[in-house]
Amino acid sequence: MIGHARLLEELGKLVARSPADATSVCADAERLRVSRFAHETIHQDLVQESLSVTIKVIVNRRVGIAVTDTLEYASLHRGLRAALEIARHAPPTTLLAPLPGPYQHITLQDYDPATAEMPAQHFVNVLKRLLQICQGVGATLAGSFTVSEAELAVANSNGVACYAASTAAAAKLVTMYRKLSGYASGVEPHINHLDVEALLERALKLCLHRHDPLTLPTGTYEVILEPEAVAELVTWLGYIAFGAKSFQERTSCLSGRMGEALLARSITISDDGNDPAGLRQPFDYEGVAKQRVALIDRGVATGIVYDTTYGHLYGQPSTGHAQPPDQPDGPLPLHLFLEPGTTRREELIRSCRRGLLIPRFHYVSGLLNTREALMTGLTREGTWLIEDGKLRHPVTTMRFTQSFLEAFGHVLGVSKERRLIADPAQDAGCAVMPTVRLAKFRFTGRSA
Amino acid sequence: MTMSNERVPTALVRQLVKDLKRRGVDYADVRFERILHESLIVENGQVKPISLFETAGVGIRVLIRGSWGFASTPHLTPSFLRRAATQAIDIAKSSSSINRKVVRLAPVEPVKATWRSSWQIDPFEVPLSKKLDYLLWAEATVRGPKPIKRVTAHMDFTKSTKCFASTEGAAIEQRAIESGAGLEVVAQQGEEVQVRSYPNSHHGALAQAGFEYVKQLDLVGGAKTIQREVLQLLRTTPPRAGQTTLILDPTQMVMQLHESCGHPTELDRALGQELSYAGGSFLTPERLGTLRYGSPLITIVADATAPGGAGTFGYDDEGVPAQRTELVREGVFVGYLSSRESAARLGLRHSSGAMRADGWDVPPLVRMTNVNLEPGEATLEDLLHDVKRGYLLSTNKSWSIDDQRLNFQFTTEIGWEIVNGKLGAVVNNPLYTGITPQFWQRCTGLSDRNTWRLWGVPNCAKGEPVQLMHVGHGAPYARFDGVTVAPAR
Repeated sequence: MIGHARLLEELGKLVARSPADATSVCADAERLRVSRFAHETIHQDLVQESLSVTIKVIVNRRVGIAVTDTLEYASLHRGLRAALEIARHAPPTTLLAPLPGPYQHITLQDYDPATAEMPAQHFVNVLKRLLQICQGVGATLAGSFTVSEAELAVANSNGVACYAASTAAAAKLVTMYRKLSGYASGVEPHINHLDVEALLERALKLCLHRHDPLTLPTGTYEVILEPEAVAELVTWLGYIAFGAKSFQERTSCLSGRMGEALLARSITISDDGNDPAGLRQPFDYEGVAKQRVALIDRGVATGIVYDTTYGHLYGQPSTGHAQPPDQPDGPLPLHLFLEPGTTRREELIRSCRRGLLIPRFHYVSGLLNTREALMTGLTREGTWLIEDGKLRHPVTTMRFTQSFLEAFGHVLGVSKERRLIADPAQDAGCAVMPTVRLAKFRFTGRSA
Repeated sequence: MTMSNERVPTALVRQLVKDLKRRGVDYADVRFERILHESLIVENGQVKPISLFETAGVGIRVLIRGSWGFASTPHLTPSFLRRAATQAIDIAKSSSSINRKVVRLAPVEPVKATWRSSWQIDPFEVPLSKKLDYLLWAEATVRGPKPIKRVTAHMDFTKSTKCFASTEGAAIEQRAIESGAGLEVVAQQGEEVQVRSYPNSHHGALAQAGFEYVKQLDLVGGAKTIQREVLQLLRTTPPRAGQTTLILDPTQMVMQLHESCGHPTELDRALGQELSYAGGSFLTPERLGTLRYGSPLITIVADATAPGGAGTFGYDDEGVPAQRTELVREGVFVGYLSSRESAARLGLRHSSGAMRADGWDVPPLVRMTNVNLEPGEATLEDLLHDVKRGYLLSTNKSWSIDDQRLNFQFTTEIGWEIVNGKLGAVVNNPLYTGITPQFWQRCTGLSDRNTWRLWGVPNCAKGEPVQLMHVGHGAPYARFDGVTVAPAR
């Protein structure tokens, strides 16, 4: 851990040294410990330390950005010089938002030293226990454990100086038994709260059966999507629809439809980087405090997220959703919450006469037709056919091609339980999602 | 423009290898890497913030009692390097306390060598103003008509320097430059939104070459074409749903090869090492040499020696020389992309040289190099000639494939009807889907070397933590019968 004192001091010194009209510096540091295993062997085990320092300067309305990877004076100074050089050569920018500020904030509320300092042997011991359980029931196991320690600091010449540190511990488990497989994942800010044996039990429940998987005809089915599957779809929607850039370009399904009922009344989606149920990030890469944004309120399109540039364009304040300044996608919601319902998950299954239970999706793409939020993807481990409220048969892989708007326009139930979904080894952000029962979901292909 | 000098700390790397040997590892390699990346974007007449990214550091991989450990550091000082080495050793030792399978490495001749990719004009020496002027010109050529909502023009340049040394005695230095550029236009009218890219989508116009490659792409020349086509796409209709004949152009063949041949022939995946993330492969070891993957027309090679390929190198990140390996020969599955470890596990004599890391801070994984479909002998006119009704599709828009790499679905930016051997009206929102071996077995024609084109993929994702690799794919036009086509609606 670098720590707030050193990070803010180095960033502050760089801002003070910069001769530019305005300067903003963002440091994003991460330490990842990832163990991957399959067939009773850890086949990859690593520690990765990374730091990215993004320096943005504005000179005579010209912007330059340079990114470097250490806090050493020489490296930061080279980065600053490169950013100034770029700005000197760049044409003036007409749509130039002023830097945000002033804002000071330091938090370690989601930093757990025990997680950050986990010894190399910890996951080996956990894995030994899991393998014993699997061997006891004749199953095999693959998966990964991840521990992350993240620090984000932003300083600018307008009085921003903020820092947040956080930790996360995550596990992904794929269990295999005869021709079936099961899946479970979990993530917690504190490693002691991550109940890996409970995850294993959840994955094993989906595969410890003697049935052979059934191949179903393509067509429209009722589905019960578990939180991981819901998160896949809602995260894609966030990427293609809830950012100001896609809204402005009219590729978003919300463009021109603000205030209209697009989804069922039981669907309320918001983005909230400060909700303790998620993996918190209190400010964005420009150093703007994150606001809770209601994106869909009881089915009605109500909001999108802004950074300072798009906020300036629309005459709105930034909602605190800026991405690193060298990223081209514009502001994005990365802490998505779908409001819980009133029904227990088990009741959603019990009340289904015929449908599919889907723990997660594989390889979803939301780029097919973004205006209609048309998505495709596949089922994967642990998909079951439900008949008369009971799990009857495991099901082979099926492909869906389905408009999100159409599917979430016909909601039969939303669970009161929600799960935190995140993969700290892959992406920033998180989603907190319930199980959702949908009346119609179109399956257009299958693998078998 | 560069941010630092290009000095390679060869002595430091070699000293670290000596130290690791002294500390009793069974095997270790040390890889220093410096990457410089410049990204220029012009959008709707405005230059977006220009970014220059530089990273440098050392990755240390050790093998102790048959188990791997990896750690890295950006700090090239003895104390930080010692700390990283200790971390890697500790990790390997703790893993070895549980591992049932012991890692063995297929042999490789340790070499002392240097390698440099080919370039004429170093893009980092080209004045920024010249690069921006060209982008502004190309971008402005597309703008104008009211339905056009956004035009983006981009250039990307990467310069990498690597220094690799192993306890077996390898000592290799490599330098490479990569250049890429392209245009994308988004147009909207009513509820219809269309996108068109030139010369390829997803930043696929990418080559291991200098600025001369960007000049050859002729962005300004292509700008008028995509302006016309995106407006046509707004006014036209999608293809009819059903089974028909498809001709895919080389830009779409990139993703077809990538998803349905490149990934399933990664041996680590076939051995189950990607089960928790990207999945497995239907190309399991017992099918090697016997499975009919495609029609006899189909020969697919992994060619890390292809001039200009985004997946070209002199030596992989285990010090194995670049090779040209057949994956599919005349329709039969015959080879894997492999590492020293996975090759040994399968009893192969040597690695196919496909171990690559996307930076110094991650260990190498089995990755694609340039996975290329060999050309046939037909002209495009020949391929069209026999088609009574069908579609020609171009430029990938979306992609998806199942966790065994069987059921795929792609959409493309544009298509054209084929009627009685001639290209007809433009169609929008085309989608096609299939099952990998069935689809490739229905290949009935390939165009010749003159139409064959090598493209790049700059964002091939694999591994945990995810690594984004630059890989290449070369292909001709290819014709397939009985393919399921539908509108993406």
